[in-house]
Amino acid sequence: MTSPYLHINGIRKTFGDVVATDHVELEIGEGEFMTFLGPSGSGKSTTLYILAGFQDPTAGDIRLRGKSILQTPSHKRNIGMVFQRYTLFPHLSVGENVAFPLRVRRAPQAEIAAKVKRALSLVRLDGFEDRMPGNMSGGQQQRVALARALVYDPPVLLMDEPLSALDKKLREEIQYEIRRIHQQTGVTILYVTHDQEEALRLSDRIAVFNRGRIEQVGTGPELYASPATHFVADFIGDSAFLTGELAEVKDGRATLRFTDGTHLADVPMHGPGARGGKAELMLRPERIDLSDTVGPPGASLPVTVEDVTFLGNNSAVTARTGWGDPLYIRLNFGHPMMGSVSRGDKLHVRWQPQDAHVFTNE
Amino acid sequence: MLMNFDKLGAWRWILSGICALMALFLLLPILFIVALSFGNSRWLIFPPPGWTLKWYGELFADPRWLQAAFTSAKIAAIVMVLSVAIGLLASLALVRGRFRGREVLRGFFLTPMVLPVVIIAVALYAAFLRLGLNGTLPGFVIAHLIVALPFSIITISGALETFDPSIEDAAILCGASPWEARFRVTLPAISHGLFSAAIFSFLISWDEVVLAIFMASPTLQTLPVKVWTTLRQDLTPVIAAASTLLVLLTVVLMIAAALIRKGKSR
Amino acid sequence: MLSFLTPARRGSGLGMAMPALLLLLAFFVIPVAGLLSRSVTEPVPGLQNYETLLGSATYLRIFFNTFLVSGLVTLITALIAFPVAWALAIMPSRVAAVVFAIILLSMWTNLLARTYAWMVLLQQTGLVNRMLMATGIIDQPLQLTNNLVGVTIGMVYIMLPFMILPLYGVIKKIDPAILQAAALCGATKGQALRRVLLPLATPGIASGALMVFVMSLGYFVTPSLLGGTANMMLAELIVQQVQSLLNWGMGGAAAFILLVVTLALYALQLRLFEGKAR
Repeated sequence: MTSPYLHINGIRKTFGDVVATDHVELEIGEGEFMTFLGPSGSGKSTTLYILAGFQDPTAGDIRLRGKSILQTPSHKRNIGMVFQRYTLFPHLSVGENVAFPLRVRRAPQAEIAAKVKRALSLVRLDGFEDRMPGNMSGGQQQRVALARALVYDPPVLLMDEPLSALDKKLREEIQYEIRRIHQQTGVTILYVTHDQEEALRLSDRIAVFNRGRIEQVGTGPELYASPATHFVADFIGDSAFLTGELAEVKDGRATLRFTDGTHLADVPMHGPGARGGKAELMLRPERIDLSDTVGPPGASLPVTVEDVTFLGNNSAVTARTGWGDPLYIRLNFGHPMMGSVSRGDKLHVRWQPQDAHVFTNE
Repeated sequence: MLMNFDKLGAWRWILSGICALMALFLLLPILFIVALSFGNSRWLIFPPPGWTLKWYGELFADPRWLQAAFTSAKIAAIVMVLSVAIGLLASLALVRGRFRGREVLRGFFLTPMVLPVVIIAVALYAAFLRLGLNGTLPGFVIAHLIVALPFSIITISGALETFDPSIEDAAILCGASPWEARFRVTLPAISHGLFSAAIFSFLISWDEVVLAIFMASPTLQTLPVKVWTTLRQDLTPVIAAASTLLVLLTVVLMIAAALIRKGKSR
Repeated sequence: MLSFLTPARRGSGLGMAMPALLLLLAFFVIPVAGLLSRSVTEPVPGLQNYETLLGSATYLRIFFNTFLVSGLVTLITALIAFPVAWALAIMPSRVAAVVFAIILLSMWTNLLARTYAWMVLLQQTGLVNRMLMATGIIDQPLQLTNNLVGVTIGMVYIMLPFMILPLYGVIKKIDPAILQAAALCGATKGQALRRVLLPLATPGIASGALMVFVMSLGYFVTPSLLGGTANMMLAELIVQQVQSLLNWGMGGAAAFILLVVTLALYALQLRLFEGKAR
């Protein structure tokens, strides 16, 4: 197998006692849009800064096209980056901002003019060469920053939460632009965000970060349908967790026992576990169904309805399991039970076997 | 309601009155001096019996006044350049540096500004007598630099603090080496701070009296020293002429500083 | 966590502070230390210089004059600065801008020029005396120069901008809604002033007053020119000892006393107004 285009190999970064990234291992293909998704402090930005050369890792290596880049100083790495804060040079016009990387590379003037025009056209800011950054909106400034980062055709483009300072509508507009630019240029993009919706919208693959480690890498559907850990299940999509005990473990499937004695057999399990150990059952509110008839064993639980709220295109039902844990069910508008569910009803929650997951890890 | 100007009732007039009186109190003596410099009276009678330009004539005809002015300008120019350069380095260290005791160092750098100048003057006088720097240009420059530097550091640090270091990082990623990034991006972005520091430093040196009295020699005098020694003897209107010119310089530099501030905020 | 987001730089940056640091050490710390050491070693080792300064009546009178004038100047300046700063904070900004321009012009105009103005204005045949006599307030011209009255007037003139500007900053930061709330609670203007505005402005007044007091203590030019040699203040004493009498011991001792008092007052300000009066 050929070596990957970009290989982040066992990166570890500590600041004194604090571990920012623990052991980050990731392979990225050429032209791929990879998003680092996770809460603040999870190590995603630190990894990006190590890629950019602003931090040196405590251990590990990063290889681009087979060659390590760690020995190269930042300004020679030829990587593009767009920051969260607006970093346009305030004393230069838009055109001069975009031209800057070419000027420090001593490119000839004709080439500079042509490339600047092309870059501004790419971000749909044709004719903005003479404007000053101070007179532009946040969205426009980030587009110029993007043009400046791409004007020298870098092999990799880093983006550190570039849209979090913008309002929602603007964010969606620029997300669309970013996707379009990615398709047009084919540049490899590493994008950092804490917003799962943004990650799902933009990426080819997502790496979910938690406490300095990547918990799972995969496409959006993979992460949603088959989360590998409690954290990933919780971070992507809605989820509800029911805590119980492992009564039996066989061939990667578990029988769970809950505090009132209810058993749930034959559920797919992730992570190690032995009989008697603690485990959690994860169900997604929109992947479970409410019915007055009991379902097949291992894919059904009896509940008592506590509250029903109509929310337009869906209704939110709050129910309680036999042992007192809350469970949320979302019924789409038009569901047969929609009008007839009320407080106190004793019903059954049912699901497809592949939509339930048992986690024994955090 | 007390902070609402329109709702103060009678108090509005009292406050405005005090304010107006104070403004007049501050302004009139300066206007008075300007008027006196054109007045005919040797004994500074006001209003003067007639108007004349002879005091200015005397001023410009006297080589010692011109020499003093030239010396002042020379020293102030050198102090200005050194103060901005050293102040810039110190500000970079204070704002971007990551070493322990940064706040203490900042306090230390500002100390010459808060201590009475006379202490520094006398101390330097004693030290320079031993080193033979009294009555020399380098001695003068050093003395003024000591008291101009704090203002320079405050001004430049202020500009640096509002400058996002990420912009410098972006320049580096664009391909500029760290020093290239500082020169092409950071310095221009804080240029208003540098200009203000330059003007402050120039004015401080130009107007400085106490240190100058000690650093001067019969052959090396700044304008304030000349004014001071003349004033000790008598109150000739020539001083009014010199003072008017100094006021004019202040006004010009203040307008320049204001224009720079306006240019920055645009 | 912000340090994780701000990229690291090679080196701590301490090196760049070196030129300033060395300059100050060589030409500020060491000379001042040298001067102070001379105060206890000249003419002979011991504390006689301090004994003389703090023991003899002539010198004590100089200290007294200095503190008296500084105190008066601080008091008068504070009394004027408060209503002015208050007015500036609330009046229409066009008018305030004019007043500010005047204040800045005065502050940046050459000190000698400004002192000279008062020397002329306050002389026996000067404008002030002539106007007082013309309006019938006095019959004989008052002695306003070469005494502490002249010094006080001149110093108030110099110090006013230094009190007004910081106090303006403090008052401007007060949320007007607080005063509106006071009015709604039923307070009259006088009560609101006494119980709400003044207490809120006090940290600014106090820190401004401390600054003016300290500056006045060590001031040289204006007290010398307007006070005359018979009414010497501390700064002129130091200069006279050193320049005219070449008495380094006494000069150094007087300078040291001034230094200690200055530092003590600053320490007091830091302790009392940690961050509040900023």
